[in-house]
Amino acid sequence: MLEHSPQGQGAWKLSWHIVRRNWWVYRKDFLANISPTVTDPAFMIFSLGLGLGAFVSNVDGRTYLQFLAPGLAVGTAMFTAFFETSYGFYIRMTFESVFKAMLATPIGVSEIILGEFIWVALKSALMVFGVSLVLLLFGQFHSPQNLIFTPLVGILVGVPIGAIGLIATCYVSNINQFQTVYSFVISPLYFFSGIFFPIAQMPEWLQWIAKSLPLYHGVVLCQSLFWNEKILETWLIHGPILIVYSGLLLTWAYFKVLKRLQS
Amino acid sequence: MQAVVRVDQVVKSFGNFEAVRGVTCEIRRGECFGLLGPNGAGKSTLINMIYGSSRRSSGQLEVFGLDPNTHARAIKARLGVVTQENALDEGLSVRENMELYAAFVNVPKDQRKKRVRELLQFMNLAHKENDPIRFLSGGMKRRLVFVRALLGKPELVILDEPTTGLDPAVRHLLWGKVNQLKSEGKTVVLTTHYMHEAEVLCDRLVIMNKGQVIAAGSPKDLRTEHAPGYVGVWDKASDLVSVHKAALERSFQVIEDSSGLYVRAPQLENLLDLQTSVAQPALQLRPSHLEDVFLKLTGPELNVDA
Repeated sequence: MLEHSPQGQGAWKLSWHIVRRNWWVYRKDFLANISPTVTDPAFMIFSLGLGLGAFVSNVDGRTYLQFLAPGLAVGTAMFTAFFETSYGFYIRMTFESVFKAMLATPIGVSEIILGEFIWVALKSALMVFGVSLVLLLFGQFHSPQNLIFTPLVGILVGVPIGAIGLIATCYVSNINQFQTVYSFVISPLYFFSGIFFPIAQMPEWLQWIAKSLPLYHGVVLCQSLFWNEKILETWLIHGPILIVYSGLLLTWAYFKVLKRLQS
Repeated sequence: MQAVVRVDQVVKSFGNFEAVRGVTCEIRRGECFGLLGPNGAGKSTLINMIYGSSRRSSGQLEVFGLDPNTHARAIKARLGVVTQENALDEGLSVRENMELYAAFVNVPKDQRKKRVRELLQFMNLAHKENDPIRFLSGGMKRRLVFVRALLGKPELVILDEPTTGLDPAVRHLLWGKVNQLKSEGKTVVLTTHYMHEAEVLCDRLVIMNKGQVIAAGSPKDLRTEHAPGYVGVWDKASDLVSVHKAALERSFQVIEDSSGLYVRAPQLENLLDLQTSVAQPALQLRPSHLEDVFLKLTGPELNVDA
C-alpha cells in the first residue's frame, strides 16, 4: 500500500510525477495521438449517424444521430482507457523499462499504479469532453450546459475500463495477446452496451449481461446529459454502480500489477 | 568505518528457486564495494533488494539503518541507481529526461535546470541537451543514465553493470567519474563483469556464485589468497595441451577453457623456464589478476542456465 512519508514527497506528489511524465511523452506527438480520438467519432457521425441514419426513421423517438452521439463519446473514453493501460502500460513496462528506472527513485509500485490511474482518468475525461464538444457543434446537445458534466462520465468509465486493461497487461505474455482481449472483451462491450441500438432489442438474458458490464452504465449516464432527461435519477443509480465497479476492478488491478512489478 | 548497508543471511526465492542464498556482507561509508559473479549469480537480485525494488524472502537487511521492505522510499531518497537497462524515455530530449527524474528525486523546482546543466557538463553531454534520446549513441545514453543517478545528490550510488558494452574511452571516462564520487565521500556499489574494472575501482568486493558469496576481500587480498604469482597463456592448439598438460597439472595450477591454456606459477621465472623446456612461446606472460581469481573460484565452464 502507499507508504507514509513524513518528509520528502508524499504518495500523491510522486504519483503526480507519473501523470506529468505521461503527459510530456503524449504531447510530443500530440497531433498523431489525438487524431484517432477526434476523427473516429467524426467519421462515425458521417457514416453511421448521417449515412445509415437516413434509413432509420427513429430510435426511441429520436433520430439515429441523436441516439448514437452519447455512445460515441463514451466509446472514446473506453478506447482511450483500454489502449492506455494495455498497450501503453505494457510498452512502458517491458520495451521501454521506464518503471525500472522509476522504481530506483522514491517512486514505488503503488505510486506508479495510482499515477497511471490518475492519468487514464484525466485523459478519458478530456477525450469525452473533446468528442462531446464536437457533437455539440453538430447540435447533439439538448442543453449545451450539460457539456461540463461529460468529463465525469469519462472518469467513471475510464477507471474501470483502465483497470481491465491493467489486469489484461498482467496476464498477457506478449503484446499480441491484447488482440484476444480486444476481440473478446472490448469489442463486445462496445457493440452490445447500447451505443448503436437500444439494448431492449436484445434477448433478455443478453440484456442482463449488458447491464452487468460497466460500459452500459456509462452510456446511460451520457445519454441523460445529451438528451437532458432524468439526469438526477440516472446519475444516482448508474453513477454509484460505476464507482463500485471502479473500486473492485482497481483493487484487482492493483494487486496484479504490484505482483508483476515486484517480481 | 560506519556501515551503510548491512546484509545478514539474506535469502530471495522465486518459487522453489533461490536466487540469493544466505548472503552476508557489509558495505562501508565512502568505499567502492564490488559485487562480482557470473550471470545468474544473484548480484542484481541483491541490489534490487538493497533499494527496495524487490522484497527479500528472509534474513536481515539494513540500508542507512533502515529496512528496505518497510522504508524503501526513505532509502531511495538517499541513493542513486544506474540500472542495467538504460530505461530512458526515447521520445523525450536529454534535458526533459533529466528534468523529469529531478522531480522524481525531489530536486526543488527552481534548482532543477541548474542541477541538470551541471550534471550534463560533468559528463560532457551539455551539447546534447536538446537532442532526443534516440539520436544518442550507446555510450552517450550510458553516460546520461550515470548522471541521472546523481540528480538527487545521493550518499550511496549503485552502479549495476554501468560499462557493459561501452568502448574503452567511455569506460575510462566513467571510471574517472566513479573515482571522483569516491573522493567526494560517496559510497559506491558496483556490479560488473569486467574484472579489470573491479580491480581498478573497488576497495573491497565479494564474488558471488549460484546465489552465495564464495570469496570476499580487497582485490589484492583475493589475488594473494586465491591466485598468487604469474600466469602464462598458451594457445590451445599447441603441444602443451596435448603432450604436457598432465605433467603440468602436477606442478602448476592449470585451467583450460575455449580461449587457451592458463598456467599459474609462483614466480615469473617458472613460466619462462616452462616456455623454454616445452619450446612453445606463451601468448602472454603476466602477473595474475582478478580474472584468474574469478575463474578459479567460479570455474571456466559456461552456466547454460544463466
